[in-house]
Amino acid sequence: MRLTVNGRHHDLPPSPAVTLLELLRDRLSLTGTKLVCDRGECGACTVQLDGEIVYSCLTLAEACDGSSVLTVEGLSSGGADSALSPLQRAFIAKDAAQCGFCTPGQLIAAHTLLANNPAPTDEEIRAGMSGNLCRCGTYPNILAAIRAVAEGEFEAAPAAGATRAS
Amino acid sequence: MPRKSKTAAKPGGFVSTTVEIEGRTETRIVEMPAFEPAAWGDDAELGIVGSRVPRMDAPERVTGRARYTADITRPGMLYAFILRSTIPRGTIRSIDLTRASKMPGVFDVLGPGDAPAGTRLFNREIFYAGQPVAAVCAENENAARNAAHAIAVEYDALPFAVTFEDASAKNAPRVRAKGNVMENAPLVMSRGDIDDGIKAADVIVRREYRTPVQLHTALEPHGAAAEWEGDRLTVWESTQGIFRVRGDIAKALDIALSKVRVIKDYMGGGFGAKNSAGPHTYVAAIFAKRQGRAVRCINDREAEQLDSGNRPSSTQRVTIGAKKDGTLTVIFASIDVPLGISGYEGGPGQIFHEMYACPNVRTEETFAYVNASGMAAFRGPGYVEGAFGLECAMNTLAKGLKLDPIALRKKNFTKREPRQDRPYSGNNLLACYKEGAEAFGWLTENRKPTTENSKRVGKGVAAQVWPTGGGPPAYALLRINPDGTIDVLAGTQDLGTGARTVLSQIAAESIGAKLSDVRAIIGDTESLPYTGNSWGSMTTASVGPAVRMAAEDAQHQLFEAAAAMLDSSPSSLEARDSRIIVRDTDRSMTFAEVTKKLGNVMIMGKGSRGPNPADTAIMTFGAQFAEVEVDIDTGIVRVLRFTAAHDAGRIINPTLAESQLEGGIIQGIGYALFEERILDRKRGLVMNPTMHDYKIPTMADIPVIDAFFVSGADPVANHTGARGIAEPPIIPTAPAIAAAVSDAIGVEMTEIPLTPWRVLAALKKARAGR
Repeated sequence: MRLTVNGRHHDLPPSPAVTLLELLRDRLSLTGTKLVCDRGECGACTVQLDGEIVYSCLTLAEACDGSSVLTVEGLSSGGADSALSPLQRAFIAKDAAQCGFCTPGQLIAAHTLLANNPAPTDEEIRAGMSGNLCRCGTYPNILAAIRAVAEGEFEAAPAAGATRAS
Repeated sequence: MPRKSKTAAKPGGFVSTTVEIEGRTETRIVEMPAFEPAAWGDDAELGIVGSRVPRMDAPERVTGRARYTADITRPGMLYAFILRSTIPRGTIRSIDLTRASKMPGVFDVLGPGDAPAGTRLFNREIFYAGQPVAAVCAENENAARNAAHAIAVEYDALPFAVTFEDASAKNAPRVRAKGNVMENAPLVMSRGDIDDGIKAADVIVRREYRTPVQLHTALEPHGAAAEWEGDRLTVWESTQGIFRVRGDIAKALDIALSKVRVIKDYMGGGFGAKNSAGPHTYVAAIFAKRQGRAVRCINDREAEQLDSGNRPSSTQRVTIGAKKDGTLTVIFASIDVPLGISGYEGGPGQIFHEMYACPNVRTEETFAYVNASGMAAFRGPGYVEGAFGLECAMNTLAKGLKLDPIALRKKNFTKREPRQDRPYSGNNLLACYKEGAEAFGWLTENRKPTTENSKRVGKGVAAQVWPTGGGPPAYALLRINPDGTIDVLAGTQDLGTGARTVLSQIAAESIGAKLSDVRAIIGDTESLPYTGNSWGSMTTASVGPAVRMAAEDAQHQLFEAAAAMLDSSPSSLEARDSRIIVRDTDRSMTFAEVTKKLGNVMIMGKGSRGPNPADTAIMTFGAQFAEVEVDIDTGIVRVLRFTAAHDAGRIINPTLAESQLEGGIIQGIGYALFEERILDRKRGLVMNPTMHDYKIPTMADIPVIDAFFVSGADPVANHTGARGIAEPPIIPTAPAIAAAVSDAIGVEMTEIPLTPWRVLAALKKARAGR
């Protein structure tokens, strides 16, 4: 099967009974995306599949043949902080990650929300993000980060590769 | 201003000091530090400490680079899965591991009798549903799980008890070998005389309150990866206490501490449940030894919700009375707590003795063992449950007295900690009431309950105390690299609290460095000096002073070296932004210029946490205010607004500290409205071990939260002036919300969570009673 992940093309052996999450984490070593509930209840494994968010723990890898996937690793263009996407910089500035375990899923969900609705109201953010659970209670700061990006407070840095794979 | 010595002990000598951990007081013998930095009082001129610098490891967390335990892989690593009992009580009649051991990809299987006795794993006697009975090690997680489920177990079931009532009844089934009720029950704490207090009261409130079992539900489950090199074991563990886990492993496997290394880098939440090694740790270590390969064992979500600790439920029969003017005369609570199969007496009682001035206070706590997974500390253990009973009763008493609930609390403010009659190191609770009430608009904003539709609005308040002094032992080292960058070394943990950032800020401030030059290295027992568990809101107040001392020690050495280079004396030097300046001159050198000249001559500062001030209560305080909307047709409660004012001494980083407040409040909203582990009394099984059926708050459930600290350093507590903050904010949230719901619908709510069903049932009962 062929899969494009964060702009990189992969030719992969058939992998029946493997979820997209397992493929990303175990075969491609993209461990940013997390396993938490393994049954589509918490949103920690959220990735973008052909522009739409999916729970990768519930998505069979085989069903993604020919698709394009964006994970948290694809939001920034490299290791340097200057290459972080506006949303990542907003998450840092607004302290939107405490333990950080839900953060990759939150970021992908928020990234997709803003792609579909660049100027969401707070209610739209709350509704759009309610499929991503956080136990540390960073919700107010996640909301503030998304709102700040929508309001242009974190314009893209020149080197950012935020939309590279989407 | 040098701090007054509270003890005659000389530096290097040993003294006795007390440390309060989650309400329990421990006495420790501790060495006096070589010197004690002068305390940072309110007038201290600080630049980096107290500033809102971003979380220093946030870039790792927002890029997916942060490596958590489940992200650890080692060459040739295998994966383990633990099979758990499906009955609450009985014995294993037979267990057949053969089929599992022959499944594809399976390397090894463990069952009863196969684990070292010290691990207490795979007992043939079953005490709760979810108890480990066997484990499989395989080439991947799915193979391990599939094989584990192929293990055939036959049980002989025995009678069980999963509720306090069933376990404490006459002729109750034997929950465990040693008796169902904790020895010496009830646990009594008392001052004054309850009968005198009742006689003296003009108004008395008697109520029974009930709180549910709350599950920690950290997103990262418990887990470990283990690897042996000869007879030396390395364990990567998601834990709040690397040194405690090291000790647990050494004891359980009967190996020397020097042969065990525990590493914890990033961690996806703990909230009190990750204070020790667990079955996953031992299973990984045993398989790794037997197979000669690294083994990773991570709880799946069901195991995490079933058997990784919980806040136990409680039933609290509370009597509270006061004079007409609001002066409390009596507080009495008789409390039942079912602990699960194991646990400790960290019960609801203590806050009843500590919150208010009242001459007659008594609590009687009975702890019963039941056939359910054991409890564990959970953010503010005991105080969260107790605050629900005490603060709900206070609010009802205020109504009975026709007093404003804040006025009632102010009336009973205590200037000394009343349980042990000690002075406070500092106490700004009155400022919390005042500033919180103002920010919330307690007296000015009165939204009338609407009558046109089904929505009713109400408001409520509750308050909190929590012992947060921290204490020794805690050690830190600070070394200056040849390029002038600085490593802070301390064997502590960052659960997501911001410890790395806070400790870096303290180090940078103390030595006079740029924050960007400082890095905190934590979470490795082999290379770092000891600190205790990150529990009891203790890390900043315990490790912070040790880091500060290490930094001052290093600065002293740096100045000695620089004085010669700058043709000056150490006492004429000061440091700022990683530059050493000769006071009142234009001569200066950067740290890097000095250390470059020193080459590999290393400046290394050493710090330790000194004793706590004697006979002093070091506590964090707070008041919280909720406005809710209740739909009386559906029973749905929404929190509309929330305000919290807390006093935790000096705040090292307000941004991170406010995140802690919001996090505690949000967990408290879950406790108040949604969260409840359901145990089927007849079957003895947990009905909702999933994140769908065990409801934690989502972003859509969270109101605008205004959470802040009242100002004021606490130089008596320790020389950084900081106390703990992690646990206090969850303590008063549920009673504040319950008061608001009661206010909205005119029906008193005495049991949480306030689910729609419970709200409608209360409304129906009230209507029937009219």
